[in-house]
Amino acid sequence: MPTLSLKKTPYTLSRRDWGYIGEFRAMASPCEILIACDELDIADDILDMAVTEVQRIEQKYSRFIAQNTLWHLNHAQGQKQSIDEETWQLMSFSQQCFQLSEGLFDISAGPLMALWRFEPNAPLPAHADILRTKALVGFERIDFNSRYLSMPAGMQLDFGGVAKEYAVDRVAYELAESYPAIAVLVNFGGDIACPIEKSVPWQVGIEDPQRLDHAAKVLSIRQGALATSGDTRRFIEIEGKRYGHIIDPRTGYPVVCAPRSVTVLAPNCVTAGMLATMSMLQGADAEVFLTQQCVKYSIFR
Amino acid sequence: MTNRQNTLKKIQTKQQTKQIASALALASCGLFTTSAYATELAKKTDDWKIDAALMYYGEQDRVQAIEAIGTAQKAFGDDSVLDLKLVVDSLTGSSASGAVAQSTSQTFTRPSGNGQYHVSAGETPLDDTFQDTRVQANVAWSEVLNPDWKLSVGAYGSKEFDYMSIGANVGIERGFNKDNTTLFLGTAYSFDVVDPEGGRPVDLSAMVIRDNFTTEEAYRTAFEATRQSGSDNKQTADLMLGVTQVLSERWLLQANYGLSSVNGYLTDPYKVLSVVDNNGITEEILYESRPDSRLKHSFYVMTKGALDAGVVDFSYRYNTDDWELTSHTLETHYRYYFSGSFYGQLHLRYYQQSAADFYQPFLMADTPLPEFASADYRIGKMTAYTIGVKFGHKLSGGHEMSYRLEYYQQDPKNDGTTIPGELQNFDLFPTQKAIAAQFSYSF
Repeated sequence: MPTLSLKKTPYTLSRRDWGYIGEFRAMASPCEILIACDELDIADDILDMAVTEVQRIEQKYSRFIAQNTLWHLNHAQGQKQSIDEETWQLMSFSQQCFQLSEGLFDISAGPLMALWRFEPNAPLPAHADILRTKALVGFERIDFNSRYLSMPAGMQLDFGGVAKEYAVDRVAYELAESYPAIAVLVNFGGDIACPIEKSVPWQVGIEDPQRLDHAAKVLSIRQGALATSGDTRRFIEIEGKRYGHIIDPRTGYPVVCAPRSVTVLAPNCVTAGMLATMSMLQGADAEVFLTQQCVKYSIFR
Repeated sequence: MTNRQNTLKKIQTKQQTKQIASALALASCGLFTTSAYATELAKKTDDWKIDAALMYYGEQDRVQAIEAIGTAQKAFGDDSVLDLKLVVDSLTGSSASGAVAQSTSQTFTRPSGNGQYHVSAGETPLDDTFQDTRVQANVAWSEVLNPDWKLSVGAYGSKEFDYMSIGANVGIERGFNKDNTTLFLGTAYSFDVVDPEGGRPVDLSAMVIRDNFTTEEAYRTAFEATRQSGSDNKQTADLMLGVTQVLSERWLLQANYGLSSVNGYLTDPYKVLSVVDNNGITEEILYESRPDSRLKHSFYVMTKGALDAGVVDFSYRYNTDDWELTSHTLETHYRYYFSGSFYGQLHLRYYQQSAADFYQPFLMADTPLPEFASADYRIGKMTAYTIGVKFGHKLSGGHEMSYRLEYYQQDPKNDGTTIPGELQNFDLFPTQKAIAAQFSYSF
């Protein structure tokens, strides 16, 4: 693998009365790190660590970067590929998600999703195309262990459903390890983790999908994580029924009656994100599902 | 809606649904316990990984050594790794020559033949000219040929004042059973040239002492008669067979068998033996003599486990050879992570060996001279143990610092030799104590 040149993303660090806020863009999202600390040097180091780590994950697992780790897996043409510890752990976690969701969450479902274009007047995919594409989807057909991975040629992996939450947690854990006494809030495009307990809780606003950029609810968190699933700007109507952008990989069709957005609180961001995604996939039963999980959540329909 | 009914039914009937949140939280733990390793891995694929270490080794009243070790590793893609290593060490001090202590002062000729030194009454004779600087370089390349096969090749060379060694090795590894089992086959060859100061002594020839000659010329002639001209060499061929088996998610087992055949000059040109009479009084000093071949077998088994906050390993090694020298080594390392960036490690080692069949602490004047004889305590009967601690810190930017301190004690034993006369007054098998300290920095 050629060495990827990592040019640092520009970032800004601004003073607030409670500490510092660092801002940058990564993983196609606005990102911010709130740092409850008055020392500029430390805040700068924290921000630098965060940017470095999120960039590392993006470079390694983005679907849009040629020659990266994911690209090599997706271009193996059925050949066995060696994988590192981190990829193995991500695969193992994805496998658990696949099993726990009984096939609803599948990182190999990308080709099915690509068939659907959620724009006004976009043509529906042909049923035959859906059937043909389904033949290339199915996590159970991926064979892997801690060192190697192989899957049938044509199958595609996409960590998009977990990578941003993973990056949030990785940054949060790393910062907590280096600065165990400084409370931070890591927010990558609405996926949030607060690894260190803060005496005065962070106030997090949740957008109302119908009035974007306007906080409809405010949640207080001292410690933990939250993640939001749902993109309210993208939907299509078929025979008067509204279909969200969430595709059920088992049928190849969008989930009916999916909420517009689901926000879940959990101990870490990947857990919160996965619960949010799984509840979206439950369609009309999203609330029932989350209530049974005994987690705090907020659903907009 | 059938879809809705299906889902509802699923939620109502499947108890496990309730546990998804906790199962996910548990599954996600694996993603973050490996932070250090993953960072290291990410670094490995991009940069040179450099380690620098400085080690001090000091025996009580004996040899002191300072060693500087530099290693560099670079990965080329996911499949190839280059390792380079350079070691420079400097030895000073003295080591036991093999001669026994006496109740009177003793005079010995230096190995070069130029000059002599005296050992006081009651003291264990040491060769005080022990001083050398050694440079060693290694290069190794490993290559994943395909998902099942891995090849490694290496070469090394080392040079010191009176010794030169070059060698090469090649190994092949094959994974089975989804890589839960790995077989290794390796072979190595080395060629050494021994060119001691003052030439190689004639086996079992008597040391000549200048004081016993009236003229320098007569002494020189006698000294040269105890020397063989030119250098000599030694060849070593090794074969190793190994198997590594993953036992569970946390434990693995490794077993190796090694065969080593050494041929050529195996004598230590600086070691001597005292020839004593029935009263234990030294009559003369002879240069030692060893066989010119040695066939060694080694068996090694090790198990290593990942604990919740640490790593532990236990190993046992059994060596045996046709010099009848057998040894047993028990060793363990226990590493505990106090935090993600700080660990402490305990090291314990116990070693026991029997004497080589031609080892004798001294020779008796009234018995015929054997073909081979050596009084080198290193091939005599002994037990030894090591206790060590090590601490490592991970610093920002992926740097790592570690320090190690070890205590080593070696207790040579008498293997049934009757000690005559005045030799009983001396400790012929003195305990040897040593300290090793090391500081390492990785970046």
